[in-house]
Amino acid sequence: MKPVGVDIRHIALAFGATQVLKDINLVVEPGEFFALLGPSGSGKSTLLRLIAGFNQHQRGEVLIDGRDVTGIPPWKRNVGMVFQNYALWPHMTVAQNVAFGLEERKLPRAEIRDKVRAALDLVGLAEFAARRPGQLSGGQQQRVAIARTLAIEPQVLLLDEPLSNLDAKLRVQTRQELVKLQRRLGITTIFVTHDQEEALTTCQRIAVMDQGVIQQVGTPMELFDFPVNRFVAQFVGSVNLFAGRFRREGEALRFSSPALGELALPAGVEPPPGEFDLAFRPHAVHFVQGAAPASCLALDGAVEGAEFLGEFLRYEIRVAGAIVTADIPHARGRAPVAPGTPVALAVPASELRFVSA
Amino acid sequence: MKTLAARAVALALACLPLAAVADTVTVVTSFPKELTAAYKKAYEAKYPNDKLEILNKNTAAGIAYVREQAAGSRPEVFWASAPDAFEVLSGAKLLQKIGPGNPAIPAKVGNYPVNDPEGYYRGQALAGYGLMWNTRYLKANNLPEPREWADLVKPVYFGHLAISSPSRSGTTHLTVETILQGEGWNTGWEHLLAICANSAAITERSFGVPDGVSNGQFGIGLVIDFFGLAAKNSGMPVEFVYPSQTAIVPANIALVDGAKSSEGGKRFIEFTLSEEGQTLLLDPKISRLPVLPSIYAKAPAGYPNPFGGTIQAKVNFDSTLSESRYYVVVSLFDQMVTFRHKELAAAAKALYDAEKRLGGKKSAALDEARKLAFSPVIDEKQASDKALLALFKAKKTDADASKAKAKVEEEWAAKAKANYARAVELASGAK
Amino acid sequence: MRTSPSLAAVALAIAAFLVAFLVIPVATVVYTAFSDGQGGFTLAHFAAFSGISLMRESFANSLYVAGVTVGLATVIAVPLAYLTVRFQFRGAVLIQTLGVLPLVMPAFVGAAAMQMLFGRSGSVNLVLRDAFGFTLPLMEGLNGVIFVETLHYFPFILLNLSASLANIDSSMEEAAQNLGASGWRLFRKVVFPLAMPGYVAGASLVFIKVFDDLGTPLVLNVTNMLAPQAYLRVTSIGLEDPIGYVICVILVAFSVGAMGGSWWFVKRRDYALVSRGGVQAPRRTLTPWQSLLAYGWIAAMLLLVLSPHLGILLMSLSKVWSFTVLPEQLTFAHYATVFTDAKQMIWNTFLYCGLAALLDVAIGTAIAYIVLRTAIPGRQLLDHLVTVALAMPGLVLGIGYLRTFKGIDLPFGGGALTASWLIFVLAYSVRRLPYALRSCMAALTQVHPALEEAAENVGAGRWSTIRRVVVPLMMGGILAGFVTSFITAAAEISETILLTSRESLAPMSYGIYLYFQSVLGRGPGAALGVIAVSLVAVGTYLSHRLVAAGSPHQSPGGRA
Repeated sequence: MKPVGVDIRHIALAFGATQVLKDINLVVEPGEFFALLGPSGSGKSTLLRLIAGFNQHQRGEVLIDGRDVTGIPPWKRNVGMVFQNYALWPHMTVAQNVAFGLEERKLPRAEIRDKVRAALDLVGLAEFAARRPGQLSGGQQQRVAIARTLAIEPQVLLLDEPLSNLDAKLRVQTRQELVKLQRRLGITTIFVTHDQEEALTTCQRIAVMDQGVIQQVGTPMELFDFPVNRFVAQFVGSVNLFAGRFRREGEALRFSSPALGELALPAGVEPPPGEFDLAFRPHAVHFVQGAAPASCLALDGAVEGAEFLGEFLRYEIRVAGAIVTADIPHARGRAPVAPGTPVALAVPASELRFVSA
Repeated sequence: MKTLAARAVALALACLPLAAVADTVTVVTSFPKELTAAYKKAYEAKYPNDKLEILNKNTAAGIAYVREQAAGSRPEVFWASAPDAFEVLSGAKLLQKIGPGNPAIPAKVGNYPVNDPEGYYRGQALAGYGLMWNTRYLKANNLPEPREWADLVKPVYFGHLAISSPSRSGTTHLTVETILQGEGWNTGWEHLLAICANSAAITERSFGVPDGVSNGQFGIGLVIDFFGLAAKNSGMPVEFVYPSQTAIVPANIALVDGAKSSEGGKRFIEFTLSEEGQTLLLDPKISRLPVLPSIYAKAPAGYPNPFGGTIQAKVNFDSTLSESRYYVVVSLFDQMVTFRHKELAAAAKALYDAEKRLGGKKSAALDEARKLAFSPVIDEKQASDKALLALFKAKKTDADASKAKAKVEEEWAAKAKANYARAVELASGAK
Repeated sequence: MRTSPSLAAVALAIAAFLVAFLVIPVATVVYTAFSDGQGGFTLAHFAAFSGISLMRESFANSLYVAGVTVGLATVIAVPLAYLTVRFQFRGAVLIQTLGVLPLVMPAFVGAAAMQMLFGRSGSVNLVLRDAFGFTLPLMEGLNGVIFVETLHYFPFILLNLSASLANIDSSMEEAAQNLGASGWRLFRKVVFPLAMPGYVAGASLVFIKVFDDLGTPLVLNVTNMLAPQAYLRVTSIGLEDPIGYVICVILVAFSVGAMGGSWWFVKRRDYALVSRGGVQAPRRTLTPWQSLLAYGWIAAMLLLVLSPHLGILLMSLSKVWSFTVLPEQLTFAHYATVFTDAKQMIWNTFLYCGLAALLDVAIGTAIAYIVLRTAIPGRQLLDHLVTVALAMPGLVLGIGYLRTFKGIDLPFGGGALTASWLIFVLAYSVRRLPYALRSCMAALTQVHPALEEAAENVGAGRWSTIRRVVVPLMMGGILAGFVTSFITAAAEISETILLTSRESLAPMSYGIYLYFQSVLGRGPGAALGVIAVSLVAVGTYLSHRLVAAGSPHQSPGGRA
């Protein structure tokens, strides 16, 4: 089947007086593995359910394969959805669950049997066909839910937090399997999650949502490296963020922040005009002996505390009135810097970002 | 919680004496609450130390109840319409002789003795059997008013009558016996079966008939007189007549043997036969015929008087015959009518349809069908067979007897069913 | 979990009570049905039973009536339940009212009124005959029983099914829509099967109640059913008649079978998954067309359900009501009659039902505590025994009492036990115990054990803790249990007819039945019925209020 695109244009949706989605515009390319990432209440699940037809938008249109599906009921959309709780029907066996959608499509019995077998083979559960969902583990249930959805060969696959009910180890394994499956089938897939790691590791592109608005759309690296605002910077990865003002004094660029005080920025840093926050990732912070190189932002502070995380140590460093987080790689046998010790920090100019508030 | 419990205990204690008043007279009766309530009120007013306990049961259940109580805890008085019930009780040695009472009460009404010749029970009121109808119902359905039992066999009444089952109602049994004795076994059954075939329902208790007639569910019912008279006198749109083939029989009262307080029981019986007790019967809600002739002087105009010739009782009711075949007649009725009513009515319907179709033309098939539908499954000779009568009187615990009895009943039922089916067949095929 | 000799003694006492007044009477009935009179085992009575065509017919009729009633009740209840749970719509309150209204009127009381409205010459048929020249045989024979019972018992399905539907996670339905199912197929293949536990519970209850009901067929003059046959056999032929016991055994077998079957059905399927996630489905809005249909259906049902209430009220106020659509003369005389003649019966009802309900909540509280808070071996048995009482037909228990306690006298010259008022209290309390127990169990489950541990920690003894902490915290549930037991006992007729040995001992329900047994008694009977219905209605309202008020303050912070 030819993969199809999903085009969302100017979608607005309100439940009563609460505006849940505000002018959403989004294009999901054919065959793409796309994530909707955001905290709970951001509207990501609402958007997904809207694509499936469970929510009705008040404005805008949803195009699947170029066709407006507004007003088409869920059962006529051919959009497969895997529910967070899998929604397996306990009164049916695994095979009956998987066969359900095919029966609704009135396929011949033999064809249904073959397709059910194929779908269960796809998720490696062929031998569980006669069991009831209650007799399966959480991971197996989830695979049944996927098989059930894929059996109807939907144009688009919607995954609503499919990994959240699994334990940590299974989650990693399952998401890798999901990625492989999606690549193999080439089906356009939209994945809803609140877990940035899940989104970053599985999806080709991500839309970060907050308060019913899409904050930024991009590849995982784009989002991480070039967040457009404070929310995206904070939600994708950890970050040091400081509000303040930029001031040009001749050649030198200065940043005055209520928390950090007056700072001289290294050469080659060019902030866009207007109000921005200064941002840098903790792993971009280095300890230096003596003066920092000119290509780096230099900060002086004292260690407040440290958390040992295995691969690195996460230091909390007091710089003027602020706390700067620094992730310093750990080398075997090296002792942590004791609290109270003064340290000099350097952040390479290339790692400095300016994000809108 | 605590106070609630304490109060409940206090309550319970307060109620205990109820069970042990000095002289409690328990009366088992099939009579309606209007009647018993009036007697209770009047009696307790006259004898404030006595307490009258009413136990309302239909006649059959009343007999069973008296039978099952151990001597010493039996009720004092048995009070019901059907004389056979008293025969059954005295036969079972459950009644105490009380002899004749108030000398002003005549010994006989017509040919029928008012009191039990052996002195086990006394007549307390008189009852005749007749027809009661709802005037509005008849008018709405364009039905003529009936006068005689024989009127009721007409096709025009199909689906408009009601009768009770004699197995459930002593008074209906009397009606059935009255018809059987007045018209003879074969004609009697023929009429009975035709009447039942015309009935919309065979009700469970005798009251079901007057009740249904007074509220308009049925058009005409076969009832004991007071049901009809009381309803009429209380303003219901009903009428009542005594057909000429009726019997006037006493409704009786008796002292049960082995009761706790025979004295109290006797006192109540005398009260019901006194001037005072007899006058209560004239209450419009009760409307029964007193056994004390002087009371009729107080009755309103038009009140029927069996001593004054307003009722023509042509049947000399033979209660010995009635009692001897009680169980057989009752069971026969149930097997042929009560449990096969649907089939019987279907047979009648087929007959009427055929008659209409043939327009008065003679048809052997139709006559045969009528005979099948409206003939008893056993003749009078078979019904008076000693072995059969004995079988039906055997004790219930006698497993062999009840098995044999069940077999006989099953035969009757099967025969009746086959007859009705054949009648339908013949009638619909009649040319 | 604790055990103490005194609690064990209480448990034993309760067990003894249940054995004496539940197990032995029922066992006696069963024994009699299989006994040849000399202590041997025999199937002869069953053979005799099956040899009588009337019995075979009655058996078939009972099954037919119960089955058809379940079917019709389903037809009425399912759309109503689905409407309340799944649609956004203002009639929900109406439907809730519909769910309670029929239950406040004993079926046999309603039956008399329904005859006046729907009978051969009832209001409806009179109108039909005048206008269209035909009548509907709504109340003829078995039809009447089915009609009355359907209107009376459909709320059991409505209430259970609504609860079950409300528990279904919305995703279950959405998943099916997502895969292409909608409308009727969605309901039939997914929604209804998922609500099956509630439906089966309700339907089996309806089946049992109808199969065992005595009062309605008797008032409607229908005798060719099992329960009336057992009653007629035992009252007219006597307590010795074995066929009566055979019928009782059949009633018990079907009741226990239906209840056990529904339990097994729900157990067999794993429905645990259903309530995961826990989002209730968003309620859909009705199209104008659907709204019309929904409101029409509700209005029709409401009219039907209200008809016995209205009928009984009219009957109680009418002087003459015969062959007319509505009664012509109104009077309050019947109420006056009832208040002079039936005072004793009203008082008796309060006495018996009050004591029975008191006994029920006392035993219920004790069993709840023993089952949930102690480790006394066999404690679950108490719970199971009580649950069995739910499936025991009143008729069977009544006959069992008469037979078992025949000839047993009360101490201090109190007379025979079967002829005393105590027998009512015992019979009522045993059959209402399951209601009280459920209520008490629910209440105690809400009380966190830490609250008791805290009391013990500051020095309160076992009994002191129960009295000062446990019982006060359970009070809402206990009171609700009391009211439920009280009102269901007040409306009970099967046992009552059998056990009433004297009019002065009779409760109101018997009084209503008795009044209905005479031509001129319909008015007073209806008046007494109106009083009984008002009493039950007030009680029902109270118990709802108590349940609503009882729960919130009882759980300390830690409860999940």
